[in-house]
Amino acid sequence: MRAGSAPSRLLLLLATVLAPLVSAAAAPSGGPSADNLVERLKTLLPFAVGGVAPLPQAVRQAEPGGPTVRLGRLDAPEQLERDLRASLAEPLAETELTVVDGMARLGNYSLGSTEAHRGHVVVLKGNAEIHGELEGNLVTLDGDVVVHPGARVRGDVLAINGRVRDTAGGITGTWSELQPSVAAAPPPPVAAVIGGRLAGLAGVFLTFLILGFGLVTFGRPNLEIVSDTLTHSPGRSFIAGLLGQILLLPTFGMLVVGLVLTIAGALLVPFAAAVYVVLAIVAVLGGVFAVAHAMGETITRRRMARGIAISPNSYRYLTTGLLAIAMTWLAWIGVGWVPVAGPLTFLLATLATWVVATLGFGAALLSRGGIREEFSGRLLPAAMMTDEYLWATPQLGVPAVKRPPKEPS
Amino acid sequence: MTRWSGCRGALALATVVAAPVAAQSMRSYTVARPVPAAPVPLRATVDFGAGRVAIRAGDPGQLYATRLQYDAERFTPSQRYDPRTGILRLGLDPIGGAGIRVTSRQHLDQQAQIAFAPGVPLLLDANLGASDATIDLGGLALTSVAVRSSASSTELRVSAPTTGSCRLASLSIGAGTLVARELANAACEQLRIEGGVGRAVLDFRGSWRRDAQVVVDLAMGTLTLQVPRGIGVRFVATERFLSRLSAEGLTRRGEAWETPGYEAAAHHLSVMLTTNVAGVEVEWVEP
Repeated sequence: MRAGSAPSRLLLLLATVLAPLVSAAAAPSGGPSADNLVERLKTLLPFAVGGVAPLPQAVRQAEPGGPTVRLGRLDAPEQLERDLRASLAEPLAETELTVVDGMARLGNYSLGSTEAHRGHVVVLKGNAEIHGELEGNLVTLDGDVVVHPGARVRGDVLAINGRVRDTAGGITGTWSELQPSVAAAPPPPVAAVIGGRLAGLAGVFLTFLILGFGLVTFGRPNLEIVSDTLTHSPGRSFIAGLLGQILLLPTFGMLVVGLVLTIAGALLVPFAAAVYVVLAIVAVLGGVFAVAHAMGETITRRRMARGIAISPNSYRYLTTGLLAIAMTWLAWIGVGWVPVAGPLTFLLATLATWVVATLGFGAALLSRGGIREEFSGRLLPAAMMTDEYLWATPQLGVPAVKRPPKEPS
Repeated sequence: MTRWSGCRGALALATVVAAPVAAQSMRSYTVARPVPAAPVPLRATVDFGAGRVAIRAGDPGQLYATRLQYDAERFTPSQRYDPRTGILRLGLDPIGGAGIRVTSRQHLDQQAQIAFAPGVPLLLDANLGASDATIDLGGLALTSVAVRSSASSTELRVSAPTTGSCRLASLSIGAGTLVARELANAACEQLRIEGGVGRAVLDFRGSWRRDAQVVVDLAMGTLTLQVPRGIGVRFVATERFLSRLSAEGLTRRGEAWETPGYEAAAHHLSVMLTTNVAGVEVEWVEP
């Protein structure tokens, strides 16, 4: 026999036997029958439903400096709950508590219909049944307050981890209930969070890859110039990108104001605004692709230098670079659910992506979208154009000429 | 061997860092008070900084009734009522549990349902912070109302005529959305709208009992005034910097825009505008 099954059966049997009686007793109150059944069962069988209630008894006043509560105002229920719980001793019968202008009781408490009590009342680990007149505030800890018809409570009532039932409106003051903690809806499983974020990253990566491949196919020379600009002038690119971001909005404002000031230009404002926004997006996105291209090229060349045979081309560079950028977000996905480390990783990934975007935007600005080569390291200063350099360096577009065969002697 | 040790170490680390995820809880606090034999006007202040708030008219026998569901690790409930002065303070006080939250707002959904007695004069002052609020003032004995929110969505409705003599309704939005419906039912002498950045829709349908004066101070955003046909409308824009006023059906008269036959209209809506970088639009609606 499993532990606990016997009491359960006994409880079920008692509930079955008592159900008609309980229903009949509950009917006049007019409340929901299921609730009443539970409440009556709690009253009739406290040991089975609500645990063993301590024997009703008065709580001794605490020594000076001991646990003390003031019930004059019940406006901070959680603090009062903490104070009352702190006063509970083990065993409960040894609890000591001073109630200023009142008394404390342990276990169920009842005020008879012919009785009147003046002063505050605290009931610990039990219900308070009021049939008579209470002039003062009433607080229960882990118990209900029941104010029966004809009873009167001239004061405020608070049930901590319990209910207040006052069908006849016998409470003249404020009544309140502080219900026990309810576990919040559990957060989604970590695996589901990681899976969702991975899917999101994969979606963004694929979108960027498709856009990037389109750029390589149709705008490769420009992409390479922006990429080379970044490789050869990273500091300048970053500063240009930073200034570009700062000046983006003021420039737009100046553009709009400039157009508005001219009669014909005012008509072009919507068109100019749209073009400006599109250009800004293209510059940032193109810049990011250029950074990915540059990163991929560097990684590929290092691998080739180690003797790994791979085909160096812009598609590979771009894929490798985008994968490298995605790694920062992959790190966030891995630890994003961990307190403190998660948000920190998110900040780092965001910062890294911003640096990449700033570098790319700056390189795109410096190279005018891959048109100017001044900062790409492709143009040589005149001083370097010596005969020796030109003789030793194969020039692009100049086919090598075969050495003429030696004439037979 | 070394690899297995590394795996075990990683597993142990993951177990340790995963532990704090489950330690969060919600509590509920219910409070109510019956209407006294000789009620004094209720001066209610509601403070609820995060979550969802609903305010409405309730049981005529309950002066106020509130049910709060709150994050017990960050807030503590408080209610204070002084029967002599009628001053009531309801809401949640922060307990300094700020910091990085493991879970999202949806998993710790704070809620407040607040109801006031319809027959007791009410001066309502609601500080809603970043809460999403749904307020229905219909049927209340409204004397004045002030609603302040910072970054949230506030929907205010006056679904039925109020019974009190409303002097002032003041609605302040920081950066959010305010939609106020059937404002004529409130019959307030003056309506003040202060907005930072956001969108405000003011619908003046309802039962017109007195003329209304609206004072709008909007920094950035859009303001839409929905006015029933037949109401005489007068706009005075005291300051309009980079703002657009779309006032179809209004004609300019000195410094103001008016509906034709403004003086002869049964009810008048007077709007004083102070806007910066905003769009103001008047929509004519059926009463």
